Amino acid sequence: MSIAISDIKTQELYSPDISEIIAIKRFTEKEKWFEIRLPEGRSLGHQPGQFVQVSLFGAGEAPISVTSSPTKEGSFELCVREVGMLTKIFHNLKVGSTIGIRGPYGKGFDVESFKGKDILIIGGGIGIVPLRSLINYVIDNRKDYGRLIILYGAKTPDELLYPDDLKLWDKSNDIEYHITVDQGTPEWKGNTGVITTLIPGLDLDLPNTITAVVGPPIMYKFVLMSLKTKRIPDKNIYLSLERRMKCGVGKCGHCQINHSYICQDGPVYHYPELKHLQEAI
Amino acid sequence: MTTEAKNKPKVAFFDFTSCEGCQLNKLNLENDLLDILEHVDIVEFREAMDDKAEEYDIAFIEGSISTPSCVERIHDIRRRAKMLIALGACATQGGINAMKNLQPIEEVREAVYGDEKYRFPTLPAMPVSAIVKVDYKIDGCPMSMPEFLKVLKSLLAGQEPIKPDSAVCVECKLKENECVFDKGMVCLGPITRGGCDAICPSFGQFCTGCRGLISNPNKNAMLEILTEHGISLDEAKKRILLFNSYDHSQSMPK
Amino acid sequence: MKKYQLNKKQLPSFIDHLKKQGTVFAPHKKGDASYSFAKVVESDSVILEYNRTLNSIKKYFLPPRELLLSYSRKDNSYKKGTIGKEKKIFLGVHSYDMKAVLKLDYNFTEGNPEENYLLRRRNSSFIGVSFIPDEFHFSQSVGMPVHDTDGFDIYLEKNDDGYTVKIITEKGEKLIKEFNGLCDALDISSNHIQFQNKLKYNYNRLPEVFEQSWNAEVWEEVAKRCVGCGTCNLVCPTCYCFDVEDNMDLSLQNGTRDRSWDGCMLNDFAAVAGGENFRKSLADRQRHRIFRKFRYITYITGEPWCVGCGRCTAYCTAGISIVDIVNQLCDEYEQKYLNRPVEQSGLNLEGL
Repeated sequence: MSIAISDIKTQELYSPDISEIIAIKRFTEKEKWFEIRLPEGRSLGHQPGQFVQVSLFGAGEAPISVTSSPTKEGSFELCVREVGMLTKIFHNLKVGSTIGIRGPYGKGFDVESFKGKDILIIGGGIGIVPLRSLINYVIDNRKDYGRLIILYGAKTPDELLYPDDLKLWDKSNDIEYHITVDQGTPEWKGNTGVITTLIPGLDLDLPNTITAVVGPPIMYKFVLMSLKTKRIPDKNIYLSLERRMKCGVGKCGHCQINHSYICQDGPVYHYPELKHLQEAI
Repeated sequence: MTTEAKNKPKVAFFDFTSCEGCQLNKLNLENDLLDILEHVDIVEFREAMDDKAEEYDIAFIEGSISTPSCVERIHDIRRRAKMLIALGACATQGGINAMKNLQPIEEVREAVYGDEKYRFPTLPAMPVSAIVKVDYKIDGCPMSMPEFLKVLKSLLAGQEPIKPDSAVCVECKLKENECVFDKGMVCLGPITRGGCDAICPSFGQFCTGCRGLISNPNKNAMLEILTEHGISLDEAKKRILLFNSYDHSQSMPK
Repeated sequence: MKKYQLNKKQLPSFIDHLKKQGTVFAPHKKGDASYSFAKVVESDSVILEYNRTLNSIKKYFLPPRELLLSYSRKDNSYKKGTIGKEKKIFLGVHSYDMKAVLKLDYNFTEGNPEENYLLRRRNSSFIGVSFIPDEFHFSQSVGMPVHDTDGFDIYLEKNDDGYTVKIITEKGEKLIKEFNGLCDALDISSNHIQFQNKLKYNYNRLPEVFEQSWNAEVWEEVAKRCVGCGTCNLVCPTCYCFDVEDNMDLSLQNGTRDRSWDGCMLNDFAAVAGGENFRKSLADRQRHRIFRKFRYITYITGEPWCVGCGRCTAYCTAGISIVDIVNQLCDEYEQKYLNRPVEQSGLNLEGL
């Protein structure tokens, strides 16, 4: 294999766009929401499910899922859980602060191919973050899609994200919305139990339902088992994986599982592509 | 950049059972020392000055805990310090001092103090973290200056320093050093935590393991490497335990 | 192909001739018993007869440590690191290290062609040299005989009086054009050089073995002897994984974003913020390392991503041998899936 090196157009892969934080909301003790404006209000041009590399000089970079729909113009949104040094510093930033953004990267949900289908969303914990991008996309293009069914689970009521969206989804006649928490509180009136307890009761048009699942690694095994019991075909399942990443552009090697780089072929995978990759789930 | 004195974090240095080499090493910072003083107020530093403050933003601790009075004193410092950082092998892992723990403590006491031993109560040598919460460790004997600066800069910039968890071998390979095993020596670089820029092997000297071992060290395999390279099993264990007996003597393969 | 004879005593003047045309990098002695590529200052300090260099010439295209950006935290501005555009001539490269560069070319152009790699890689010429395989080389088993000239502009084949100079490309022709003193090539035929170290199967049979090797016993066995120091990754000429870290100067305002070589054998390579480590055990990591060389990229490109240089084995203090691992996988495969020893395949290139 020989490649004509001098003929190849090079890409500046590691230069972030300096962007401004224009709004911040705190959701929980650990999660904050940020609205970000790229230079000149340029559109990010992402697909639901894609991520950006957030760059904080001095602290480094981290991959963060985009949580707003591509239909939103002029800015985009991130929801960040504080889990390490970089996210801690991110949490301390104020409106008007600038951060670096590279991306969007990876493959998101193939919303074109979902057209005309019912969409079943299964989100556990911060898995709802990239799914909210898909949900809002479907809501904004409502006539292109069939039923929109949202299953959302969190550990406790305190850990639920997007309080405004949750109210909206709950009220909407057009969205079938089910929520559960692993452990309730005295004030909690909704379902308790893990997210898989919401699946058996669903009445689905099986061949016509696309399922999008995002959650912590431990959740996938159990959700996939429940989906199998429900006879949802593998080809109708999409899920998103998380791994360590340094570059986001398929070079640094950290996110590799088998022959696949998650930052290139994922983070959203069509389940049949993933099921034979050892180490994936 | 100049910070107003009132806003500068108060930093103090304390020494416990040690040779105080780490403190001397800091004075070797020369040019950088003045830049550091732009950012911090050093309020307690036996080797440098003699001032006292009630509270510290950062307390750096050198030396291991080895007497009942050390225990009392470290609790007192911890109470007054927002952040406490262990400096150098004695403080981070007990260091060479902890070798005394391998023998019965009364025998050690007698050997050192003889008839006067009753005047010198002693404890097994322990790292600072055995007694109080330690926020960060700067390893090495003496402590690594580049790591000290890196940690200080991170903390002053409001960040959390990242602890390296790869072996000294990594730094040797980045510098394209000839492996000291190929010079006929045995070296603890393969299981010793890097972050020192492989300073000893870079000068043709083997690694003694002064920075502690990487997480989940495969000690069996390291012993095999050492014995394959011609030293006895007993000697191999002693080499690994030289700086690491507090953390690793119990788990050392028999 | 044009051929000439370069006598041994002409070598320094040949190197001087090259130096007029660009910066020349060649093997030099390093330490007690090692070799290393370095910029040629004194032409007579170059050593063309060597077993292997500590690092491959990868270090010139993907430096061990590299400044990606320098930034100011004051206004969040930054500028990219500068990359020289000098003409580089690599002299005395072994065929496996040349092949490794061609493989890296794939990794750094596929998907997103990386500027940093490509700017360094351009303007490079390569002059190969033959070598005598030692107990660690096995490049023939992965499809690269000693005299493989793929990628070279000029190839020097050792003979009794010096070297047969083979001009491979036009670029090579230009490099040598104005050098006076080359003689006509001696009338000797190129000799086939045997390897002492071999894989049990030739590379084109390995995919079927690796298809069945995920749960092989070898991984746990090797993990018992491995200390996870990462040396095998770092010395590998086709490993290109890296880490990126921000560093600050004492102003606490300015700093640099630096990348450095990383290795999948190291503790936290696959650990994410929050604590999950996707390849915790040394057995998992050894499997990943070997699969990266013989299965993952191979699955896409059809080529092995190991070039048989022997560095990972020669520099492993635990004496873990990549050839032994692959051969044990072949044995396990035979026992479990074929139930009989396999004859050497007809496609085997050994002895051709």
